[in-house]
Formats: sequence, C-alpha cells, structure tokens
Amino acid sequence: MNSSEKTNRAPYRPILTAMASVAVLGVALVGCGQQDSGASKARADRTEVKQEATAGGGVKVLWVGDSIAGAEAPAMGAALKASGVGFKDASSDGGGTVVDSGEEITKMISGDTWKQLGENIKAFKPTVVAYQVTTYDWGTPDTQRAAYEKLVRTVKDAGAKTVFIPSPPIKIDDFYKKHESQMATAPKTAEEVAGKHKDAAVYLDASQLWGTDKSAKKALRGPDGIHNCQQGAAAFAKWFSTELGKREGFEPAPVDKWANGGWTGSDRYGKQSCSK
Amino acid sequence: MTSSAAVAPLVPGEPSGQPSGQPSGQPSGQPSSQPSGRHRTPGGRESARNHISALDGLRGFAVAAVLLFHAGLLDGGFLGVDLFFVLSGFLITGLLLGEAAGKGRIALASFWWRRARRLLPALVCVVLVVLLATWAWGGATMLRFALQDTPWVGAQAVNWHYIGEQIGYWDGSGTRVFAHLWSIGVEWQFYLAWPLIVAVAGRGRHGHRTVAALAGAGALVALLLTVWLGTAVDTTRAYEGTDTRAAALLLGALAATAPLRNLAGRIPRRAADLLCLGIACALAVSWTVTGGERSPLLFKGGLFLHSLGAAVLIVLLTHVPGTYAARVAGSRLPRGLGELSYSLYLWHWPVYLLLLPKLGGLKDLCGGGPLGDWITAAVAIALSVALAALTKAYVEDPVRFRKGWARGRRGLTVVAAAAVAAGVLWATVPEPVPGAGTVDVEQLR
Repeated sequence: MNSSEKTNRAPYRPILTAMASVAVLGVALVGCGQQDSGASKARADRTEVKQEATAGGGVKVLWVGDSIAGAEAPAMGAALKASGVGFKDASSDGGGTVVDSGEEITKMISGDTWKQLGENIKAFKPTVVAYQVTTYDWGTPDTQRAAYEKLVRTVKDAGAKTVFIPSPPIKIDDFYKKHESQMATAPKTAEEVAGKHKDAAVYLDASQLWGTDKSAKKALRGPDGIHNCQQGAAAFAKWFSTELGKREGFEPAPVDKWANGGWTGSDRYGKQSCSK
Repeated sequence: MTSSAAVAPLVPGEPSGQPSGQPSGQPSGQPSSQPSGRHRTPGGRESARNHISALDGLRGFAVAAVLLFHAGLLDGGFLGVDLFFVLSGFLITGLLLGEAAGKGRIALASFWWRRARRLLPALVCVVLVVLLATWAWGGATMLRFALQDTPWVGAQAVNWHYIGEQIGYWDGSGTRVFAHLWSIGVEWQFYLAWPLIVAVAGRGRHGHRTVAALAGAGALVALLLTVWLGTAVDTTRAYEGTDTRAAALLLGALAATAPLRNLAGRIPRRAADLLCLGIACALAVSWTVTGGERSPLLFKGGLFLHSLGAAVLIVLLTHVPGTYAARVAGSRLPRGLGELSYSLYLWHWPVYLLLLPKLGGLKDLCGGGPLGDWITAAVAIALSVALAALTKAYVEDPVRFRKGWARGRRGLTVVAAAAVAAGVLWATVPEPVPGAGTVDVEQLR
C-alpha cells in the first residue's frame, strides 16, 4: 500500500460510485432505446408487420417457416403492406418446422411451432397461412405427410387457406448432410398434400424463382450460402406477392413503392454479414 | 439453423502481470500459491513464485490458442477461454479464502475495487479507441452494432445481450468489434456473485470444505444446465451464459480449496509429471481436433471435461514443486504472452475485424492459400501484441501500481475522463442505418 492509500481511508468509494452511475446510465439508456431507432425499425421488419387489409381485399397472410423464411420476411412485409395485404411474420430463427421427425430437436421445435401457430391464428386471424418448408422438416415422407395434413386441417378449421412453398436451394454443411435425403422429400410431400386438398391448400413452386442450384447466381444466397440478403428478399417478395395476388385476387404493388424501403436496414442482414 | 463457418467470441483470463523484473501473480503468502502437504519446504516462497509463473504461462498458451482460433488457424482454440475461466476461478477463490483465513473476514468492497482497478482502465481505453477506429474504418453495419453493443459492454453484461441477439446462431461475430467481450461480462458477473458466497461460506474451521462442496455442487448444476440448453438450435445461450460457464469458474474455485490442494500435495513429483504430461497432451489434442464452438459434444460434457482437466493441471502446477510442466509453462515466451494476455485479448478481435479485410493484397502477394492466411494472421497478431504491450505499459501497470501518470488521484481522474469521453462518443456518433442501395430494382422488373 502506498502513501496515498494510507492517507485516504476509502479512495475507491468515489470511483465505485462513478462506475455504478455509468453502469446504471448505460443500462437506462439501453432501456430507453436512445440508440434503438434503427433496431426498432428492424424489429418492425422482422416480427410485427401487421397491416390491416384494405386494398388487398381483406387478405391477411401469416408467414411460417425457419430463419430462411425469416430472411425473406422484411421484404414480404413491405411488399404486401404496400399492396394493402395484412402480414405477420411468425417465422422462427432456429427451427420453425411443423414436422416431428422423432429426433429430440425436431420434437422440441415442432412443439413450439404448433403452439405459436395456434396463438397466432387466434390473435391475427389470417386468411392465408403460408408455410415455407423448413430445413428441419426431417423424417420419412409419411411423417412429413402427417404433419402437413395436420397443418392443412388446422388452418382450414380456422377458416383460412394453406400455402406451401419449398425452401430455396441452400449449401449443405456438416449439420445438414445427414438429413439431406429427408430434406429432399419434404417439398415433394408438401406438393402432394396440397394437390390432395385443392379446396384448402396450394403449392407455390419457388424453384421457378430460385432455380435448384444453390451456387447459381439465381439462387441469391448470402455469404453463409443459406440465407438471402436484401436483393434475394426483394426478389422473393415480388414473386410471392404476384403469385398470391393471382390466387387471392389482389393487385401487387409496384416494386418502386416498397423495394428500397426501410426494411433494407434490418439488423437481420447485418447479422448475416450481408454487408460489413 | 447452423452454418459451418464459426467465429466465436473468446475470453481473456484473470490477468496477474507485474512490472518487468518482479514476480508475477498473487501476493506472496496467499494460500493458493503455496505448496502443500508433503511438498511444503523452507524454499516454499521461491517455489510458489515459480508456480505462479507457470500460471502466467498457461494464460500465454490460452491467449495464443484464442488468437489462432480467431485467425481461422486452430479450430479448437476457443477452448483457451475455458482455461482462462478455470484460472480466474482458481486465483480469485484462493485470494478470497486467504483473506478469510488471515483476517477472519473478506472486505468485499476492497475486492471489487481491486478488480475494477485491474480490469477497467484497459477496457475503457480499448472501447474508446475501437469506437473511434470503427467510426473511421468500419462499415455501416459494424459501426451500428458497435454503438448498440457499447452500453452492454459498459454494464459488463454484453454476454446476455449477445444471447438475446443469437450471435452464435448467426455467426454474428464478424460484424461486432466487441463480440469477444462476452467473456469479460461472464467474469465480472462471477466476481460480483461468488465473493458473496465465499464471504459467508468460507468462514470458520470448515470454511474450505464448505466452499469446496458449494463449488463442486455448483459446477455439476452448471453442467446439467449446459447439457439441457446445449440441445437448442441456437447454442449461444449454452455457450455464453454466466450460469453455464460457471462450471469452469467453479471447478477452478474447487481446485483452490484446501482439500484439493492437500490432495495434490500428496502426489509424488514423478506421478505429477506424468499426470501433467497426460493432461497437457489431452488439452492440446482437444484444441486441435474440436471442430468449432458449436460442436455438439461440447455441450454434452466436453466443455466440462476440458475445464476439469485444466483445473487438475493448475492444482498440480501450483502444489507439486519442481514439475517439468511448471518449468515449461513458466518459460519466457508463454509467461511473457500471459502477462500481456488481458490487453492482448481486448485488442485482438477489433484488430482482426478492422485490419484483416484490408490485407487481401498482402495475402495475394503471398500466393493466397494457407501461407497467405498465416502471414496476414501474423501481421494482425503482431499489431495486437504491440497495442497490448503499449496498453500494459502505459495504462494497466501505472494504474495498478499507482506509478507514473497514475500517481495519487490522477489515475482515477484520467480513467474517469476516458470513460466519460467514450460515453460522449457513443452518444454523439450517429448510428448509421445500413441497407441503402442494396436492392437493384431493375433486376426485379
């Protein structure tokens, strides 16, 4: 201990006070959202875009899927909102599947998806539930079929229509490798189920947009080879709103109205390292 | 969903460097630094000094592993963080139990003040400079995240912020200059909670046993929590949670208690040498073969086993005198890196993020490929070491030893002014909204 310590009984007290004040101030500012204007906008892009249907003929879309669907959602929200269509993003970062393949992880995820779906249907009252086949839709074709049939039934009981969309082509990394063959049967099964329930479900083949080659430019994958960045989201939103508009009878808004909106600043694209 | 490329944030340890020419580590006479059992000798003080050098050396190995991991050159190097945690638990608990035994009580405010004086000045300096550098050279996304993360860094809780942001799931470290500071948050939260427990449980004749029982039980609970949370698609919660990573800190704490120290002290030197060799090899293999911080086995007991091995190694190095492993670990290079480890850890990640993308030309000049990777990493590491050496010499040591510019109250004034400057900078730099011009509308028509 040096002399300055000896003459000062508690030299640390003012510092502790100052540090505590700075910490409290920091937490308070975070809580106040002083730096959060962009983040709020991003959140708005991500989960919340609920637009009362007006020009869209009362159409309300509930968007369900995994984080790939989540990366498409900000642009979809903007495009559908501009078209007067209601939209709610219920995609999940990390899962989103309705298929319980028997593995612990999909049991957990699908349980959560079904729970959220029930709550969202009750609260949002969609006219369309759009389900993008997820990268966790594992299991046998029979398991997948049972889950998709249940989805169609659930949505029909709520007075809405199911729209199935296949997942875009993605990079198959070590994690997906052992499920690759199961992932390949999922879109075919979804198409088959939609064909069987023509009054209640439809299959929109997104391979018309993305193609089937994950490394092709057309696939519009981002740096991770799995999710799309802003351009891919905009392309999907335009394609989806056009296809859905044909079936649900609304006119999709022109791209100039929404394609360069605030949704492009969503933090989601920063997290995906779309730009540094 | 997971993706293969992984850049995990990594942890610094509990620094204990001393000015050059002085022995490093804890003050002499602390229980955790003393040989025990059959090895207690009249030369114990010198022996203890060697053992603390060995702990500095372990920090050196740990920080080197982290540096190589973040440069993409050592897949399991993130486990160096786990070693830092075990070292922290060991040293802090040793200090607290020593104080409880010597004075009959633990002065908690003084403990926290010493921790703050040791850790905050360098952190404030790095945050201030990195914010400025990111403003100058980082892209809009990087600056935006830096500004969002700064208050959490200041509150020593950035690990929970990153859990909320699912940073591991998104491989989001590549756009966050403070991503590595999650471990500083974990350590600070441990420093706040654990001393309270030791202050109560460490009293009396059975204090060491009680603390050992609590640390062991706590580590097992943390293991169960890790196994449970590790099954999630996003493993950030299991990887960066204070409760889950407490397993490593508490195993270190357990190793600092008398029952474990006495047990280690009864091990013959030759047997200890063999044990140290085996554990060191196992740790080295795990650093080499583990395929990233989301390897499923990590959360099924892998991290716990690594921590356990590290804890046994530490207790052997510190309580069996004259082991070969202690001499290797305490040799000049690892010890020197260990003394720089805290500042080196703070600097390396922002240096990597801001510098490496600009070294593409150098990489091409070296023909690209692995050679180019090693050369660009060497440049980034060299700059990080230089910044760390400057920070240690002109910030850490002056404040810690109240010398030079930090004599008397000046140190406090300057550090407080730097903290205020960082706060003002954070509040005044406009947060950019990225995304402008990212959509080519013509392609949509």
